[in-house]
Amino acid sequence: MGGPITDAIQIVHAPVGCAYYTWATRRHLSDQYAWSLPGKLDNVAFNRRYCVVTDMEEKDVVFGGSKKLLKSALESIKLFPEATGVIMYTTCTSGLIGDDIGSVAKQIEQETGKLVFFAEAPGCSGVSQSKGHHVANRQFFGQINEIRRKQPERVTPEEERTPYDIILVGEYNMDWDLKVILPLMEKIGVRVLSTFTGNARMMDLVRLPDTKLNVVHCQRSATYIADMIKEGYDIPYVKASFFGIQQTNKALRTITRHFGLDELAEKVIAEETARIQPALDWYRERLKGKTVAIYVGGPRVWHWIKLMEELGMKVVAGACTFAHEDDYEKINSRAPDGMLIIDNPNEFEVEELLETCKPDIFLCGLKEKFLGRKMGIPTLNSHSYEKGPYAGYVGFINFARDIYQALGAPVWSLVNGKEE
Amino acid sequence: MSSNCQPIPIEGIAYNQLKIEKKPIVPEYVPRDPVLVPKANRTVVVNPSRTCMPFGAMFAGLGMHRGLPFVQGAQGCTTYVRYTFCRIFQEPASIANASFHEDAAVFGGRKNFIEGMRNLIVRYHPDVVTVVTTCSSEIIGDDMVSFIKAARKRLIKELGEEEGNRPKLVLVNTPSFAGSHIVGYDRASRAFLETLAQDHSKPNNRINILPGMVMPGDLRELKHMLREMGVDAYILFDISDVFDTPLMPPQTLPYYPEGGTRVAEVEDMGNSIATFALCQNEGGLGARYLEQKFEIPAFIGPMPMGVKNTDLFLKRVSEVTGREIPKSLKDERGRLLDFMADTLHHTMMKRVAIFGDPDIATGITRFACELGMEPVAVMSGTKTKTFTADIEGIVGEFGFKPLILNGSDLFELEESLKTMPVDVIIGNSKGADIAKELQVPLVRAGLFVYDRVGYHKRPVIGYRGGERLLADLVNAIMDFSYPEERTQQL
Repeated sequence: MGGPITDAIQIVHAPVGCAYYTWATRRHLSDQYAWSLPGKLDNVAFNRRYCVVTDMEEKDVVFGGSKKLLKSALESIKLFPEATGVIMYTTCTSGLIGDDIGSVAKQIEQETGKLVFFAEAPGCSGVSQSKGHHVANRQFFGQINEIRRKQPERVTPEEERTPYDIILVGEYNMDWDLKVILPLMEKIGVRVLSTFTGNARMMDLVRLPDTKLNVVHCQRSATYIADMIKEGYDIPYVKASFFGIQQTNKALRTITRHFGLDELAEKVIAEETARIQPALDWYRERLKGKTVAIYVGGPRVWHWIKLMEELGMKVVAGACTFAHEDDYEKINSRAPDGMLIIDNPNEFEVEELLETCKPDIFLCGLKEKFLGRKMGIPTLNSHSYEKGPYAGYVGFINFARDIYQALGAPVWSLVNGKEE
Repeated sequence: MSSNCQPIPIEGIAYNQLKIEKKPIVPEYVPRDPVLVPKANRTVVVNPSRTCMPFGAMFAGLGMHRGLPFVQGAQGCTTYVRYTFCRIFQEPASIANASFHEDAAVFGGRKNFIEGMRNLIVRYHPDVVTVVTTCSSEIIGDDMVSFIKAARKRLIKELGEEEGNRPKLVLVNTPSFAGSHIVGYDRASRAFLETLAQDHSKPNNRINILPGMVMPGDLRELKHMLREMGVDAYILFDISDVFDTPLMPPQTLPYYPEGGTRVAEVEDMGNSIATFALCQNEGGLGARYLEQKFEIPAFIGPMPMGVKNTDLFLKRVSEVTGREIPKSLKDERGRLLDFMADTLHHTMMKRVAIFGDPDIATGITRFACELGMEPVAVMSGTKTKTFTADIEGIVGEFGFKPLILNGSDLFELEESLKTMPVDVIIGNSKGADIAKELQVPLVRAGLFVYDRVGYHKRPVIGYRGGERLLADLVNAIMDFSYPEERTQQL
């Protein structure tokens, strides 16, 4: 959740591996760069460029790692003075030995005057990343309040606000989804102050409560903070999905209704749907009647049932890695007859799912996509996409294109043992 | 079907149409504090070139036929490692996990282990389960030896003597705060041999090979060389048909790749005539164990890369087995030499930086020297006792004095290269950013190559691996630094 924030030094307080695996795992997600050489901005964005870790060793486990964390943070601020601040994360190791990250954060603040955020979500403290999302929401919100109280000058001045300010909450800028969402927002007459947390700056976190409306995209991981902002600052939020035509239409209408800009939404919807219609028809012609199984993180299963219908396809099975009860209620309410729904299946269960439902295509994550292919079933990385963005109207065409490419590839007809 | 007949009306938004305006984080370039550049002068690690100890044990466990690692820790410890295998090999990797939550952190992971192991064995029928510990289970103090006994009891009670005893359980202790993935693999090599290898009573006239964390292509090359020599060998851990498998459905469920070292093979490794650990830090422990326990001579390193190291490997194999090095392999050597002669104008006096895991970095350094290249900086992400001396020994023969970084990070390497220009970098995908910034080509080699396809399918070891690496190297240099008019003629 903190990872997409661009101008922060992201410090993982752990043995080296915990940080190594999170480094450079996604494509470029942000637009803020450190100078690689004088006059040269040619590389990945700042937050993915450096992987910073305290490298806890046996002696730190025995004697405590707080000092090491403090020293590491101060050194990295010296090494990367261009960063606005630091975001620190605890892990199993630092969590279990009980390092007091809160007091380290205070010390860093006092010594450097930089912004400091932290999240204490050791892997062994919860069932999945969902717990981590919740912790980060809660702790970041607390830290935001603290900073605003102590440093009121950081709050957005009145003259910089407009009545049409929104923040996209739970939008992580997967494969530059923002590149399609932001122009839509501009066209419907609202101003996007920032996102939580795709391509966000640290100051955007501090200024989260300075919006007029929060628009919650990933409703599993970020409704928490929208709720807290509503409660603490009396700022309303709406839920919206930018996947597929109907849902994007609905999202635009929901947002504009709040601001009395309904006509703009209708105009944009008419323009955009007309623009993509020929492409959509082309893909739908080739995809209709195909069956789909979906296995992704949380809300996307229920977001995507509609999408597949828009492509003329039918969802025959759905599964989530970290969905909660309310997600499954939504899946159930949208599920077509006979759809199989499983919570967090392991690989064997995925194999059984594919064997039983025999979908024409399997939308899943990186770890499952190679398994599906071994069984002769086309797959698509739906977590971080094959060739995104997938959001909004044109993004939907990208999605359709990638599904068509996966399904239509001649390799599947060359596989032995297939009925032909 | 031609796209001219049925044009696609519009593309959505193609990748290359995404214009991301790069915004500088500050107006001016910030030089890095030179005092804090050397890793020795700071606490913090920036851009590490090594990962966690359980990774190595899981790599090993997947190299067993119908082998599944079982990770005693939180789910992330498994997910990230599987994710990494998937990225490197584009293959599925099944690994089980005890799924620690708050209660396990407080009361210990005994229940998770026994229940989890039961479910795993009943559902998956593995031949061997590698029990991999983690930071959390080691800090909590899980007594894995007694857990394994209890799990076995439980299995026998439910499945009967024979079936309950059938799956082997091999414990590898891998607290990540005590070492890197290299150490994890090294420990796994010893753990498997300690647990499974039986007494030295029935000589099998074979050799053991502990290859280290090499690629499927390397193992196929290794098998090719042994086949040419007529030598029978056991390979522990053989990931060649695990991490590079055919698309050939339908299989039986659950999916297991066909490859992997058999339990019976490991059991018989105590009867072999010699053990070759190709990487001294990844398998050396296992080779030494067999030497101490069963007096099987151990030949530990160097990795058979380039000319002399491959010569040495084949000579030793020939000596212990009594098999001659056949003409076919001598021809392969000759072809590599011919290739080196034909490309020397592109390699001689080229300044090179090399980084990676200690053994492959050492192997590449010798080969680079054989090519007439000058190593300017050589780095191992994992610190070892011998790395500095090993590199000094090699470069000394050729009269070079590179910067040697033993257990440093890529930040130090990168900043060092800003003051010591090179023509080419050889290392894994984590060097892509550095190469881009320094505007030199990166020739990918090593374990973590995930941003180009096909690396794992071809060898870097043996004479033919040398040809491949040399071709990659020269082509990269030519692609990068030659004016257009030179590309028509070598």
